[in-house]
Amino acid sequence: METDNMEKIETPSAAEEKSKGMAEKDIKKTARLQLVGKIFVQIGLYLFLTVMAVIVLFPFYWMLISSLKSVEEYNALRPTLWPEQFVWSNYSMIFDPTKTGGLDLGRMFLNTVYVGIVSTILSLIVTVLSAFALSRLEFRGKNALFAALLATMMIPGELFTVTNYITVVNWLNWGNTFAALIVPFLVSVFYIYLLRQNFLQIPNELYLAAKVDGTSDLKYLWRVMIPLAAPSLVSITILKMMGAWNSYIWPKLVTDDSTYQLITVGLRELGTRLSSNASSPNFPAQMAAVVLVTVPLLIVFIFFRKYIMRGVSRSGTKG
Amino acid sequence: MKVVLEHLTKIFPSRNKKDKNAEVVAVNDFDLVIPDGKLIGLLGPSGCGKSTTLFMISGLQAPSSGKIYFGDDDVTKLAPENRGIGLVFQNYALYPHMTVQQNILFPLQNLKGENRLSKEEMLKRTNEVAKLVQIDEYLNRKPSELSGGQQQRVAIARALVKMPRVLLLDEPLSNLDARLRLQTREEIRRIQRDTQITTIFVTHDQEEAMSISDFIVVMKLGVIMQTGRPQWVYDDPANLFVAKFLGTPPINVFKGTVEGEKLYIGGQEVLAVKGAADQEVYVGIRPEGFILKKDGKLACKVSGIDVMGRDVSVVSTHTSSVNPLVRSIISSDEMGNISAEEARFDLKPHKVFLFNRETEQRVYFGEQNEAHEKMVAEMKEAGQYYVHEGPLPREADDAERHTEAEAPKGFFAKVKSLFKKKPKEAPAENGDMGSENAEPSAENADMPVEKENGESEAE
Amino acid sequence: MEKTKQAKTPLTKMEKKIRAKAIFNRWKAWLYLLPALVILGLFTVWPIINTLRIAFLNDYNGLMEVGGATFSVGVKNFATVLKDPSFLTSLGNTMLLTVITVPVSTMLALLIAVALNSIKPLRRLLQTIFFLPYVTNSIAIGMVFMAMFNMVLLKGHEPISLGIINTIIEAFGGTRINWVNAGSSKVANMVVLIFYIVWNALPFKILVLLGGLQGVNKQYYDAARVDGASRWRIFWRITVPMLSPMIAYVVITGFIGGFKEYTSIVGIFGDRMGPVGADGSLNTMVGMIYDSLNDGSQGIASAAALILFVIIFIVTMINLYVSKKKVHY
Repeated sequence: METDNMEKIETPSAAEEKSKGMAEKDIKKTARLQLVGKIFVQIGLYLFLTVMAVIVLFPFYWMLISSLKSVEEYNALRPTLWPEQFVWSNYSMIFDPTKTGGLDLGRMFLNTVYVGIVSTILSLIVTVLSAFALSRLEFRGKNALFAALLATMMIPGELFTVTNYITVVNWLNWGNTFAALIVPFLVSVFYIYLLRQNFLQIPNELYLAAKVDGTSDLKYLWRVMIPLAAPSLVSITILKMMGAWNSYIWPKLVTDDSTYQLITVGLRELGTRLSSNASSPNFPAQMAAVVLVTVPLLIVFIFFRKYIMRGVSRSGTKG
Repeated sequence: MKVVLEHLTKIFPSRNKKDKNAEVVAVNDFDLVIPDGKLIGLLGPSGCGKSTTLFMISGLQAPSSGKIYFGDDDVTKLAPENRGIGLVFQNYALYPHMTVQQNILFPLQNLKGENRLSKEEMLKRTNEVAKLVQIDEYLNRKPSELSGGQQQRVAIARALVKMPRVLLLDEPLSNLDARLRLQTREEIRRIQRDTQITTIFVTHDQEEAMSISDFIVVMKLGVIMQTGRPQWVYDDPANLFVAKFLGTPPINVFKGTVEGEKLYIGGQEVLAVKGAADQEVYVGIRPEGFILKKDGKLACKVSGIDVMGRDVSVVSTHTSSVNPLVRSIISSDEMGNISAEEARFDLKPHKVFLFNRETEQRVYFGEQNEAHEKMVAEMKEAGQYYVHEGPLPREADDAERHTEAEAPKGFFAKVKSLFKKKPKEAPAENGDMGSENAEPSAENADMPVEKENGESEAE
Repeated sequence: MEKTKQAKTPLTKMEKKIRAKAIFNRWKAWLYLLPALVILGLFTVWPIINTLRIAFLNDYNGLMEVGGATFSVGVKNFATVLKDPSFLTSLGNTMLLTVITVPVSTMLALLIAVALNSIKPLRRLLQTIFFLPYVTNSIAIGMVFMAMFNMVLLKGHEPISLGIINTIIEAFGGTRINWVNAGSSKVANMVVLIFYIVWNALPFKILVLLGGLQGVNKQYYDAARVDGASRWRIFWRITVPMLSPMIAYVVITGFIGGFKEYTSIVGIFGDRMGPVGADGSLNTMVGMIYDSLNDGSQGIASAAALILFVIIFIVTMINLYVSKKKVHY
């Protein structure tokens, strides 16, 4: 032990010898190198982020300017980066079924809004009731039930689609109805889970106090739980709306009558029809329709950024 | 390596950008020479800027003004990696995914150019250091498999392995339990003696600092109050703050008056104070400065007696006492001189310190002057005499600062009390460092909303 | 003792009332859960059972079953799927897309997240920009990508318009490529798809990884700086291991999502699932399920869905196994 220590005493002084030799010049040089390195790294970071941001933004930019170009300008051999003239008629054109090959996109917009609102409201009611039962009430089998619900989250949705298609179209005869678009997706285990976790953070004492005062469950839910869980409810509302707005596969399966079709289905169909003439596809009109589908979501995002990000960071899937 | 701090100042900008007055001066015009090869303790209550000083020496925080020298080198502008320092964090900051050995090897693997060691040398050095701090049995374990004291030693080994010019320790013992703390501080002392590396450590525990430091620096609100050998500072406090901060049980403070070179407490003459001018004073009396006597001059009402083996602690009250209780430590031989209600004391002059009521600066009297001047002369010769002169930082600042520093804590406490099931929030863990990244994550960005709703609903 | 006895008799009625209420309370939870359970039962639990059932009913068709037809039990549906030449194409496409897009998007997202975490000005703005692709409709933006890569050809001869991507390529001295039009190569199609899928997958990964980075205790970085680690070493030795749980999460969800890829392809190429004249050349597993559904062969669709489920399950297990070995903590 003693000898060990002796060694130690020598070594640091050796290190000091070295550092003593460090001239003032060297220090200045090191300090300058540090500064240069720091600036270099910062420039590199911003450069990288800017390039990536441009790549991310480019499709949005291209969509917007293309939607305002004339077909001739769009098809020019040298594409322009800004429309020579704003052709707003691209936008009015897509609402005219005679010019879209018979597609009634206006109707589809309304359908989507209707389905979105109705399914969101119903879904919120069902979710709030279930989350309340699962967080505040005691009953036999609660934990088992909750575990079973969570287990269903692990099964990919495609497995449900086949049977749901049979159930809805063949058994319930709901083909081409709004019910087919709304009912099967009313309950999301993920939303129940999200809200339950939020409800659990509200102290049980508040509930017991309300019970002592003779407040009914529903009144308590409405007056205390819902205001306290507002952030989660906003997240759920927005995610659900986004889901309705973006859904494609299921609406396409269960509807083929444009009275009930949703906008994404119509949009894709519009793309096919307007491109069918390979030598003069009408891209500006397609892009106008894309803008109309995309921009509402972007506006919602700008206003509810933190609620969306919050919900998404826990969900793990899109839509 | 000698470390010199010149006019070191750190100002944290105000969190509220509009209110410039809210900026915090964490370290204010700090001048200090730290002699080579010594162990020095930066001591002060939380929020006094001692950790900030340490982080400026390490290079992790840039000073707002002032200079830092290691030996003759001006390192103020050097990044931490170029300063040749070792730093032990309060929470150790051991890399959780690396084994003990990998943790200790890490600094060596980062060396470049001529300083780079061969693999064998690295391993040899790692083993040596591990042996020095006595963790060589645990080299293949992960930090999570070690006890607090062992983690602490790994952290020290990691800091020592690259042979730092200066070793910095931030509250190195605060995360250990009481027994381990005693043991580890002896360890630190031993390791420092063995390696002779200039070591600076930060603590709020005066006992810890007194017991192992060659030299302590007492700080308040970013200003040095006094420096010196622990015993000196204890025996000759420069102002009321230092007197109150050092010593357990703490010093007893009375309101008193000096009139005609006599000290009066509660109208009663208690001590002759030769050479002291007439003024209102605070009288600080160390617990061991009392002599129990039947006809003692200071009469106190007894409220309890604790027997502590050879010594006895008499707990009493006095109307002029600033503290609610007067604690004195008396040899048990004198215990015959006490009645059930009243204890009368005479005072040992060298254990009584007078402080001007306004400035709270020391007022010397009698033989204290000579002892003080002798010490000052000795320290000045060593170039290490620092005593804060002029008015002390105001207590009002203290309160302001306090609320500022406590604000986040209060906020989380509020949220916590509302949502009892919520686990403890992170800021407590991040300590001093965490307060800087105020950017909330997406997850808890909503918390203020929840909180406000919660409050209005709870009412 | 006396007190309790006295109190007991007059309270019996009230006790009964309380007991009745307790029973109601016990069942009221189920009342609240009823709507959710009915819908989940019909559209989630039943499908799990029924999909298993009809996958093993040869040539099952729902409409025929409603009409009273019965089907023999067997594995014919599975055989049909496996023998279908488009099954191999779909499986190959799906695997290829997943194996390329998941690592590429994870690496890019990691770099972007680390970069975002080390800057201060403009961070919020950039963070918002990088999240934008998440709030878009896959079909809609797919059509934009199609437009960007598309060339307008005059009766199959000289192009009228090159599309913006080819214009950029030519501006940098490259040669134009037929990315998505009739006669385009599968490699070109795949590049477009990979580009689009990565673009689409970035936001979620950046969000998760950035959240993880902000959760890493800053002291580890301070310690590494004091230890003299370079940025590059800090990235590999500190950041990546610290983030490994998040990276594992992002990779696993990425694989699961990758195996369900469908709408991105529909967005760019339409229901044809391939460029004009090569219908189905870019089909995926999910695409196959919907093709069978549209054909009315629901038994085959069920079998395909089950096969997909098994594949995803196995891949996830492999992922979990690997990450258990590599993820720290």
